[in-house]
This record gives sequence, structure tokens and C-alpha cells, in this order.
Amino acid sequence: MIRLSLLQFRTQALTAVAALAAFALLLAVTGPHLASLYAASGLSGCHGGSCLNLAGGFDAEVQGSYTALYLFSVGAILLTPAVIGLFWGAPLIARELETGTSALAWNQSVTRTRWLAVKLATVGLTAMAVTEGLSLMQAWWAAPLGRAVGQGAPSGPLSQGRFTQLIFATHGITPLGYAAFAFALGVTAGALIRRTIPAMAVTLAVFVALQIAMPLWIRPHFAPADRAVIAVVPGTDAGGAAGLTGSTLTLVATSIPGQPGAWILSSGPVNAAGKPVSTTPAACTTPGIAGSPHFYSCLTSQGIREAISYQPARRYWPFQWTETALYLAAALALAGYCFRRLRRRLS
Amino acid sequence: MSMSTPEASAIQASGLGKQYRRTWALRDCTLAIPPGHVVGLVGPNGAGKTTLLRLAAGMLAPTRGTITVLGARPAENPAQLARVGFVAQDTAVYARMTVADHLRLGGWLNPGWDDSLAHQRTNELGLDPKQRGGSLSGGQRAQLALTLALAKRPDLLLLDEPVASLDPLARREFLRGLMEAVAEGGLSVVLSSHLVADLERVCDYLVVLVASQVRVAGEVSALLASHHRLTGPRRDPGTLPADQEVITESHTDKQSTLLVRTDGPILDPSWAIKPVSLEDLVLAYMSRTADGTQKTRLGVVS
Repeated sequence: MIRLSLLQFRTQALTAVAALAAFALLLAVTGPHLASLYAASGLSGCHGGSCLNLAGGFDAEVQGSYTALYLFSVGAILLTPAVIGLFWGAPLIARELETGTSALAWNQSVTRTRWLAVKLATVGLTAMAVTEGLSLMQAWWAAPLGRAVGQGAPSGPLSQGRFTQLIFATHGITPLGYAAFAFALGVTAGALIRRTIPAMAVTLAVFVALQIAMPLWIRPHFAPADRAVIAVVPGTDAGGAAGLTGSTLTLVATSIPGQPGAWILSSGPVNAAGKPVSTTPAACTTPGIAGSPHFYSCLTSQGIREAISYQPARRYWPFQWTETALYLAAALALAGYCFRRLRRRLS
Repeated sequence: MSMSTPEASAIQASGLGKQYRRTWALRDCTLAIPPGHVVGLVGPNGAGKTTLLRLAAGMLAPTRGTITVLGARPAENPAQLARVGFVAQDTAVYARMTVADHLRLGGWLNPGWDDSLAHQRTNELGLDPKQRGGSLSGGQRAQLALTLALAKRPDLLLLDEPVASLDPLARREFLRGLMEAVAEGGLSVVLSSHLVADLERVCDYLVVLVASQVRVAGEVSALLASHHRLTGPRRDPGTLPADQEVITESHTDKQSTLLVRTDGPILDPSWAIKPVSLEDLVLAYMSRTADGTQKTRLGVVS
């Protein structure tokens, strides 16, 4: 049965190997230059305040083609599980039913349970290996960028902490969970709908919806968020941006003093009593003041501080494990459903 | 391959039913098909032939009732799967796999695989081992599917309308291949068809299934010997001897034509007695309604 599974999986596996090879080549060709830029930036030996300037310089060097390459590689890792769910998962059962070959496949001297177990194992494990392989290669390539972030490079797509969505979802072990889940989702959709194309559409819709819902509504609650109330100061270490529209006051934090790499869930102005405020104190509404250093000191003098709810960086790995475990558990549940459905003589 | 009780029915069903959402594809079907025969399963479209065979192959699970095949639950384990071969109506094969790949698949998945038989058959049929399933003709596909089913050396072969989509030449070749396999012995076959002419050539046992119910079942030779067409002066069928069952009847002003079943001799000299063909017999039973009354229009001999 394993031999049959490999025989039937040949084309897809070759496609995957070709994609992996192309990805590896692209990163292998550009990676050394990126690493040399980092080495030349002097960031590896810097101390204190000088790091900030050096990081800024490095950031300016890698803007442009490296930003594009970075976003492309991250996009590829994010998309791979969806592509696997669509093209490996959805047809696995649906195409057998659609073409009638299920009568051939399930009338050899191999039970359906075994047939499905071998198929799920060979294709599913390959799916996980391919996705995690892409992720590991990209992590190697992007390592200089990650080190620059730790040294205080300004914000930008290349310099976000590893807890932000694009990085959290493409590094560590989460790609394993996504790949397994998307694949199982595709197989289940195919078993339920019995048509490959509609099953692909449903797989894509459900997977994308979950990938959007996860960072927005589910992941923030893996652990109770920590809260910090900090002084409103301009610059990268505190309120990253303040907006003044009419008299509406918004403060958006991009980092927290003493909490590098924290995942900021929400932030906003509070008054001296710690209550949220949404309007700018009248004293600070002088035209043209918004965003200037004077504006921040005015807010501070009015007792305005910034409250931030966040997940500290030390929860990165617990969150990685939790999310991966959730997706793997969902994948196993879907696989279990497929076994049950197949045993109950779907044909 | 045979190891369990030789006297177990090829297929035994009791109160068997299969429901799809609201419609019943097969309902309250009870039958016993003995082993050791080439059984023709005939009936009109929608009688439940395909559903019965798919239930027997374990492709479907019954909604109601029970079915055993060679004494065991269909497809319940690898041993049972090895004993039963099934060729579905559309005789689907993998479009992107070559003929040789299909034979390798059979070898990998069946412990009783007869590789020399498989290769001998594909050679005789002129199937190019390198040809892909998707480019085979309907007849070649059916032959490849039959080869896979035969080479696993089953005790029972289930064929669902195997020749329905084939041209007359391919049909004859398919049935000849089947008969050669049967001639080697030890193989029971149940094949469904609505083409009686095909069954006549290969079957020695007949089951007529109408609306999930068995109308008649028996060995073809015995059925032909016990059915007669009687023509004579008009008379009430109720006056016939008790051992003569009227299957169909038609009457004109002066004449009655009856198709009767009896195991005894017909002694009444007023009848002109003619033998019936298998096709007559099948049509007669198919035109009968479930309670035994005839639904032919007046004056039309079924």
C-alpha cells in the first residue's frame, strides 16, 4: 500500500521537490550577501546607543530588493499549507469518488482504513516536511534581519519582532501545524463534498478564514494578557504614534520599555485615574501641535499615560506550542472523521 | 483461496435496504444466491441491481437488514476483500497510471495475486503495458478492470453491468474472457445486466429482481424446462390444474395464451405447447407485479 501511495503521489512529490529546490536556490544565492551586509554594518559588536544608528544604517541597506524577497519568502511559507490542502488534500478522496476509481482502490485486499492511513501518513508527513523545510531555510536566510531587530532597528516589514503575525506564522513550529491541518481539511472537504473543485474552494475559504481569525481573536487569549501603563513619550521606546483628529486622541504603541519583542495587543490613552480617555485635553488642542514633542509633554502634564495590553516575548515558545498543538489536534480530529466516514462505506 | 465453508451462499441478504436521503435504492430485499454458478442478475433499471452488488462488495453499508457474502460481512477484513472481486459499472481505471502500473498495484495489494495470469491476459488482449489508463478504450478499460479482479484470484466475482457500454465485439471478447476464467474452476460469478442475450450466453443461474424483490431465481436449465407457453381455445386460467402456475396470460375472443410454470407434464390435449426462451421468461417475470398479478395490456403477450 505504501508503494501504491508513493506511485500515485509521484508527480506531486516531484513538484514539491522542485519548489523546495527553487526556494533553496533563491535563498542560497542571496543569503551570503545579506549576511555580509550585516557583518559590514558593525552591528555584531556594538554597544548601547550606537546600535540604534548602526541598525538604522543596516535597515536602509536592505530596503528594496531584500524587503521584496523577504515578503515573497514569507508569503510562500504562508501560502504553502493552503496550496497543499487544495492540491494534495482535497483530491485525495474526492477524485477517487469522482472518477469511480474508488471501486478499484477499495476492492483490493486492503481495507479502507489501511488505505486511508497510508495515504494520510505519506502525503501528510510530506506536506509537513515541505512546509517546515521552507520555514527553516527562510529562517536561516533572515537570521541577520532578526538579529538587527533585537538591536533596535526601526520599525518596518524587515524589523518586526518574532511575535508579530508574519513571523510567528512562518517560523518556529507553527508551519508544521498549518500544513497538517490544511491537508486534513482538504481531505475531509473532499470526503464530504465528493467533488474535487468545490472541495478545494471550501478548503481555501475555511483555511484562510481560520488564518485570519487566529491572530485576531484566538491567539491573543492563549494566556491572559499583561498590562503596562507607561509615560507618553515620543520615539521608538514608547508611544509610537499619536493621532489627533478633531479632539479624538489615539495612541498606538509599537514597543514597550523593558519588554523587547513583546506582542502588543492593544494600546490607548488613560487618564491619571487609569480610566481610558478618547478625547484630547483642551489644553493640548493647539493647532499643529499633534505629533510634536510638545504635544507629548502636554499630554503628560495633563496626566495622560498610555495603557498597553501585551504578551511578553518569553511567551513566544509557549504560544508556538499551543498554536501548533491546536492545529495538530484539529488535523487529527478531521482525520478521525475521515476514517469513520470511510468505514461507514462512503462510495 | 477458498477456505471457509464451501456451502456458504455466494450472496445472502435478508430484509436488506439502502436509503439515499429520502429515496430507497433497495428495500426489504431477501435473497440467497448459491455458490458455484455464473449468476445473471436481471431486472429493469432502478430494480436495485447496482445497489445490491455494491452492498455485496462492501462499497456501501446497508441502511437496514443484513447481507453476507461467502458467509462473511462484505469487505470486513483483508481476507474477505481478497475473496471477492468487484468490477463496477463504469470500469474506472486510473487515468494517469499505465497498464503496467495497474498490474503492479494489483500485485502490491493482493496476497493471492496471480501475476502470470494478469500478464497473460493483458498480452492476449493486446493491451500495451506502457499505455495510460486515460487513453484506453471503453472495452480495454473493462478488460483491464476484469483482469485486476480475476488476477487477485477471488472466490466470487461481482460484475455490475460489465458489458453495457461496450460495442458488440468488445462485449463478446469480455464475456469470452470471463468464461475462460470460469472454466478454470472454483470461481462463482454474479453479473448484472438488462441484456438477456448476454446472460443467455454465459449464465447458468438466473435471478430476476424487480423493485428490490426476487421474482424468480433458479438454474437456467431448470427454469427453461419448467416454463411453457400454452396456446389454445379461450379459457379461464383458474380452471388449470393446481400445479400449473400462470405467470402471464393474454386472451383474444377465441384464444388464450398462457405462460405457465410447472414441474409436471401438461396433459390437456387442447393446448399447443411451446418452449420459452430465456428472454421470454425474464420479460414475463418482469411484467408481473409484486402480488403476482399481471400488468400487461389486454391482447399483448408479455
